[in-house]
Amino acid sequence: MTKTKKKYRRNMFSWILLTPSLLFMGIFLILPFLLLLILSFHDVDKYMNTLSTFSLSQYIEVFTSPFYLGTIRSTLWVALLTTVICIVLAYPAAYLLVRSPNQGTRTMFYILLVSPLLTSVVIRTFAWIVILAQNGLVNEVLMKLHLINQPLTLLWNMNAVIIAYVQVMLPFAVLPIATSLGEIAPNLRQASMILGAGRLRTFVKVTLPLTIPGMISGAVIVFSLAAGSYITPLLVGGRLQPFLPLSIYQQVMQVSNLPLGAAMSLTLLLFVGIVVGVLGWILKRWEGRMNG
Amino acid sequence: MSNITIQQVSREFGANTALKQVNLEVREGEFFSLLGPSGCGKTTLLNIIAGFLEPTTGEVLIGGREVTDLPPYRRDIGMVFQNYALFPHLSVFENVAYGLKVRKMPRADIRKRVEESLASVRLESFAARMPHQLSGGQQQRVAIARALAIKPKVLLLDEPLSNLDAKLRKEMQSELRSLQQSVGITTVLVTHDQEEALSLSDRIGILGNGELQQLGSPLDVYRRPANRFVAEFIGQVNLIEAKAVSASGSPAGVLTYQTAQYRLASGQPLSLSAASDPALTGKESVLFMLRPERIQLSPEHASEGTNQTEIQITDVSYAGNFLRIAGTLPGGGELVIQAPDPSFTVLPEPGQTLYARWAPEDLVPLV
Repeated sequence: MTKTKKKYRRNMFSWILLTPSLLFMGIFLILPFLLLLILSFHDVDKYMNTLSTFSLSQYIEVFTSPFYLGTIRSTLWVALLTTVICIVLAYPAAYLLVRSPNQGTRTMFYILLVSPLLTSVVIRTFAWIVILAQNGLVNEVLMKLHLINQPLTLLWNMNAVIIAYVQVMLPFAVLPIATSLGEIAPNLRQASMILGAGRLRTFVKVTLPLTIPGMISGAVIVFSLAAGSYITPLLVGGRLQPFLPLSIYQQVMQVSNLPLGAAMSLTLLLFVGIVVGVLGWILKRWEGRMNG
Repeated sequence: MSNITIQQVSREFGANTALKQVNLEVREGEFFSLLGPSGCGKTTLLNIIAGFLEPTTGEVLIGGREVTDLPPYRRDIGMVFQNYALFPHLSVFENVAYGLKVRKMPRADIRKRVEESLASVRLESFAARMPHQLSGGQQQRVAIARALAIKPKVLLLDEPLSNLDAKLRKEMQSELRSLQQSVGITTVLVTHDQEEALSLSDRIGILGNGELQQLGSPLDVYRRPANRFVAEFIGQVNLIEAKAVSASGSPAGVLTYQTAQYRLASGQPLSLSAASDPALTGKESVLFMLRPERIQLSPEHASEGTNQTEIQITDVSYAGNFLRIAGTLPGGGELVIQAPDPSFTVLPEPGQTLYARWAPEDLVPLV
């Protein structure tokens, strides 16, 4: 058999192996996305029927209405806040995970960290209702301690959403940070210390900069999830919170304005795309500086 | 510039003992090597000097000051690591400046010191590069410049050349040696490469099984190994167990032995003559070391006597500047011989018979 023929056969084989996943992606991701894109440019009549005419009316609506602009702003703000809190909280956890001297302890931490992912988001979020409700755990304890006279309203606001988000998304921040911590050669810390830097300085000057890739990866995941979820804000924030995913859900399921929902979806995708793109660019620059 | 004193240092890892009661002193300004096979405890000892490990018992003194309980960052040590350990996110300049910034040196002084350090390793023009843009040898030199920039009391080198290819390693060895000489800094090199240790060091400490086996000059450890471990670790050896025999007519200063390990065609044990040595007095059985390069080969039998035998070649390997030849005696026993390249115009072949002989002083008794 000639070489080219062999190569051709090998290529064919890879394509055959790829076909099922390509088909799946095509039918369930790319096709719906294109349909959504087309849908977002349609007009609607006053009964919310989708018309066959095309215009930018839906996008104009999204980008001119103070309500939607506010919603976009608060969605991005909450996602950003969640991301920052997650990264800050994840760092010590990742550190513990990687630096525990004992393999058994490390395995235990891993199981503890990953096990919440085995239950559904709904269940994890419901737990926060139990904790934060008027007659929930926190209020009961505070009342019993006579620190407050009447229950605080802990649920149905942004804080509750952020708390629940952080808890749900923490593992997604811990794992990439742990990975990049684990990749740091131990003798870099030794080199820093023998040059006279104490533990804190070594952490700030060596360990922290070298985990930037892990932090960025974690941030990308957490930010995308936080900007795109609607179950968590719906359950602990209530349906009136200014969240773009909630508004999309309402437009599509309750108002039945499909084109507006589609335009809002794509707007959300655009903003998340910009943030992820900027983070990715920073990551690439940083890695280029370190590895060429 | 300081000396290093290791007093009764032991280190245990759980049930394993990595170091047993090690005592040694590295003299001021000396190039000292810790040599041994992997797992002998040499890296453990270096880490104890650096402060990355605490000894289970014992003390470490640098320049007469006890440092056993000081963390690494208070010890004023320069160290070069096996894989260089340059900070990948910092430029060459920033790497070298790292220890100086920690010491809160004024900026202008830092710049000057970094430039000096980089000049000493001939990398002045590389200050702005990132570590990944440098070759292995250049990274190595930056690591050395970084270690020396802080003007440390002592310099520790942890197998610094083991990742370089053979040619570059030779170059770096001589460069390292001349740099050490010009700075005059007390240096401890950890290596498993005996040639490197022999050619670079003023003195060598040989570690085996967590114990200091021998402490001496390169010449001492190669020519007069303290024991079997050292003899076998440094270079190749023929080890010959022999028993003293009383022989008449042997010249003064020569003692006669017989070894059952090697037998002549007649089945007779080979007779050996060894130069008299304090280590031999009153000893019935002795272990002799005979270095392969000490054995002379010739095509003809010169004369009858001790320290010579007919051998049949079993294996020849040509290494360029020398040949390694294995041969067996007619009555049994294998000898390894190393002959310089020019000694043969035509290489000997397996099956051929040659005659081997050596001088009495080539038989070195091991205690």
